[in-house]
Amino acid sequence: MSTDDPSKGATRRPASDDAPAVLTACAVQKSYQSGDRRIAVLCGADLTVNSGESVSIRGESGSGKSTLLHLLSGLDDVDAGTITWGEAGPTANRRARYLGMVFQSFYLIPELDALQNVLMASRMIASPGARDRARAKDLLARVGLAERMTHLPSQLSGGERQRVAVARALMNGPRLILADEPTGNLDEHTGDAVIELLLGLARETTTALVLVTHNPTHAAKTDRELLLHEGVLRAVRPSSGF
Amino acid sequence: MPWYFYLALKQLFPTGRFSFFTAISVLGVALGVMLLVLSTSVMGGFGHEIRRMIVDTQGDLQVRGVGGKVINDAAALQARLAQIPGVAASTPFAEGVVLLQFEDRPAYPNMQGVDVQQVNGVIPLARYVSIGSLDELDDDSIILSVQMALGLGARVGDTVEVYSPLILERLSSDEILAPRQLRVAGIFEIGHQQLDSSVVIVTLRLMQDLYGLGTTVHGINIKLKPGLDADETAARINQTLRGAGVQARSWMELNQDFLFVLQLEKNMIFFLLTFIIIVSAFSVTSSLLISVVRKTREIGLLGALGGKPRQVAACFCFQGFLIGFAGTIVGLVLGFTALHFRNDMVEAFTKLTSSEQVLTRFYQFRELPGYSETRDIVAIVVCSVVISTVAGLLPAWRAAKLKPVEALRSE
Repeated sequence: MSTDDPSKGATRRPASDDAPAVLTACAVQKSYQSGDRRIAVLCGADLTVNSGESVSIRGESGSGKSTLLHLLSGLDDVDAGTITWGEAGPTANRRARYLGMVFQSFYLIPELDALQNVLMASRMIASPGARDRARAKDLLARVGLAERMTHLPSQLSGGERQRVAVARALMNGPRLILADEPTGNLDEHTGDAVIELLLGLARETTTALVLVTHNPTHAAKTDRELLLHEGVLRAVRPSSGF
Repeated sequence: MPWYFYLALKQLFPTGRFSFFTAISVLGVALGVMLLVLSTSVMGGFGHEIRRMIVDTQGDLQVRGVGGKVINDAAALQARLAQIPGVAASTPFAEGVVLLQFEDRPAYPNMQGVDVQQVNGVIPLARYVSIGSLDELDDDSIILSVQMALGLGARVGDTVEVYSPLILERLSSDEILAPRQLRVAGIFEIGHQQLDSSVVIVTLRLMQDLYGLGTTVHGINIKLKPGLDADETAARINQTLRGAGVQARSWMELNQDFLFVLQLEKNMIFFLLTFIIIVSAFSVTSSLLISVVRKTREIGLLGALGGKPRQVAACFCFQGFLIGFAGTIVGLVLGFTALHFRNDMVEAFTKLTSSEQVLTRFYQFRELPGYSETRDIVAIVVCSVVISTVAGLLPAWRAAKLKPVEALRSE
């Protein structure tokens, strides 16, 4: 498929064309069986995300945003098409190092305090050492939770939990962060703060970010805005004429 | 530590303490282990006490004439036995039932005739004579068992009358019936109800006289050097004495039916009480299954963080193992504590139910015996830990089967 085709604007790279692609999705298709019917959710979605780039994906409820994110993360299998992380396809072994994920419902482990939740990401690779602990503490400090490291998730507010989740996503220095409506369970003010934090940290660490959101304001803060409609990704900004 | 072990520990012991679910699961396993330790130790105690009693009263081996025949030259046979490696000492004996009477109160004890000079080398009889002394036993005296002395009302220094089958045989031939008058030289107490109520001891010469045995004996008791296998030594003796018209049998062979029943009882109790652990294992399974359902989204998260299904499975399987391990440790502590205070508990219970005599009458012992064999404890520990770990397999399999995407979407 040609990148000159306006309908495939999602595959276009931003200004930094020299940056390597950390994520490539080519003609991804996914459908689900619902009773007797087979519902096509994605019908050839294309996406390329370069290193350090932030991309937002918007779409109506049920348009397949979360499905796309699960496919991009390698948690689910595509029916057709390919997904590549850098040079190779997604695997569970690569996921811990390559990918950071942030969810709408935070998904912190309730038995672990904030610090241990962040360290959980590095535990997936190896037992954390002093350097890992220092990094986890540094990340928590950067998300403004230096004083709440020993607090359990139940002792944290929604915004604080999501900030712990952001720190966890960044713990292993991933090449790519996939954020699935990270502000969905937060009030507007807290949501704005979390998005600012996420974008700031991604930019600071030159980590690519794919942000699925309903919020146009949050989407506007990313380098590129995409719209998932009828199973296909279309560029909203830069415009198709880019 | 791998993350799945770390998480298993954290889920079982959040904030370093037992969670309620963990405490209940551990307690279930602990109760099963405690009962197993207690019951196998008490059964082992019965076996141990009975072994001690048998060896203390019969020696390690017994040589008797083939077909119930008497042994004619006991001294020569003892000399041959002394040459056989492993034989530490031997003593001849004669035995039989007599009619004993004291102040019109009759009894029908089993009379044991022992060689006072040799008997202590094989049977520590002197140790059990609590009143009087074995040294005072001569051809005109008798040592009574404690319950028999109490039943007859006889004390040391009293005279009892003894009628042997030989005397009764003479009575049937219209001969004069003259009971043997014997002075009570002592009273012994072994600690076993049956022996303490039905055995009396006299000299070998007196027994030979009462039964008309002449210089013959019924058998020879043998004590072995420490650490020797009784069955193997018995086989060696039989090999050496082939053709001599005698046969050596170990204490185990002599009492094999009784020991078999005892072992069978112990095995049955072990088997039945293992079901307590199995039932508690079901509760572990149930609790872990609930945990899998409750933590479905966390399981999805673990997948998203890079966890593999087999690692997720290991996390839940390890929880089953930890519950089994902790329950076993707690159960061992409770079991040995209960074992230590068993007699106090039995005493309190029998006092409460006014059944002090029942224990002695039916269980032969004045105290509840306790003896823990290492292999029994090892079997209990292995059973408990393995069963609890297996209990974690089903939840582990369910957790591993969950697809991260579906788990993350679950409500």
